[in-house]
Amino acid sequence: MLVTARLRPPDRVVEVADVRRVADLLARLEVLPGAVLVIRDGALLTSQDELRDGDKVEVRFAISGGG
Amino acid sequence: MPMRCKRCRGPAVMEVRRHNAAFCRDCFLHYVGQQVTRAIAKYRMLGHTDRVLVAVSGGKDSLALWDLLLELGYQADGLYLSLGIGAYSERSKVVCQEFAAARGASLVVHDLAGEHGYTIPEAAGGTGRSSCGVCGLSKRYVFNRAALDGGYDVVCTGHNLDDEAAVLFGNTLRWDTAAMARQFPVLEATRPGLVKKVKPLYRVAERETAAYCVLKGIDYVVEECPLVAGNTQMRHKETLNQMEEAAPGTKHSFLFGYLDRAAELLKVADDADLTECARCGMTTQAPEDPAAEAVCAFCRSKARLTKTLPIVQVASR
Repeated sequence: MLVTARLRPPDRVVEVADVRRVADLLARLEVLPGAVLVIRDGALLTSQDELRDGDKVEVRFAISGGG
Repeated sequence: MPMRCKRCRGPAVMEVRRHNAAFCRDCFLHYVGQQVTRAIAKYRMLGHTDRVLVAVSGGKDSLALWDLLLELGYQADGLYLSLGIGAYSERSKVVCQEFAAARGASLVVHDLAGEHGYTIPEAAGGTGRSSCGVCGLSKRYVFNRAALDGGYDVVCTGHNLDDEAAVLFGNTLRWDTAAMARQFPVLEATRPGLVKKVKPLYRVAERETAAYCVLKGIDYVVEECPLVAGNTQMRHKETLNQMEEAAPGTKHSFLFGYLDRAAELLKVADDADLTECARCGMTTQAPEDPAAEAVCAFCRSKARLTKTLPIVQVASR
């Protein structure tokens, strides 16, 4: 099973094998779940949502430094 | 087991761990609207007859805020300030213009280089302030002035719960009590020359404003400002997010505890005497030496910058 994750910003694509749920994917990417949104086909996923082989997801960082 | 919406028990799309909750699309949008409505009511931020100016950058927070205020029926115009940060600023302006056009809303555009003779990349290193420092100073000045000139009653900014917690964290680490005393969701117009400033998103986390935009189909600038990498506020946010991961609700308790129990005690620390800037007439802190000329931080920075920039050297020949 292989999931393609596009991390942005900046904009980096990585392939991750053998991850069953979104929480597993974020743990493998060493990304804090509270800092990102995970989007598949325009829809938001929760940490418990299951991933499928061939999924393409965006891991979008939601933390900005302006203000 | 998929998560269920806390409110309607349908499939959830967004988790809000600090409230031990998850929501479906519609209930999440309802929740965000409720948080903003509570913020506005608690601090009497806005009235429906007020002319409201929303400072928009093209990012998730300010566009979510503008969208929410329009949905809640406020007379909200947008204000975009072009900072001259190359393609990033150009794209940000287009995003704001498209947002306004799609809603029939009015967008006021100001340009730092055209009106004041410098851009933020040029300012980096030219004033003794960081680029983020000059940017913040410039924005505060232009927002206030644009609101005064345009006859607006109140300026809204998109500062969210994470922004406010990170600023409070930084101020606390330095025990900057004067800055802490001025950090509040509403700053009243205490004298002529000042416009009321409010932060209706202070109850909403920034991950939630991003989710709001995704769920509402709002096209915002996802790229980070190229000048912001590694700035102090980002470092503070990263630290707070590590703590939040271990104990959800940490940021909320830190900020809300301060606002509810400590802010009042610190009011005495804000002892700045205010006066008019001798150059631009806007409000500034009175100098300690009563014989000294009062010149605001914006005019001082601008003078230092425009002295060093090529465009001004050419113009002064």
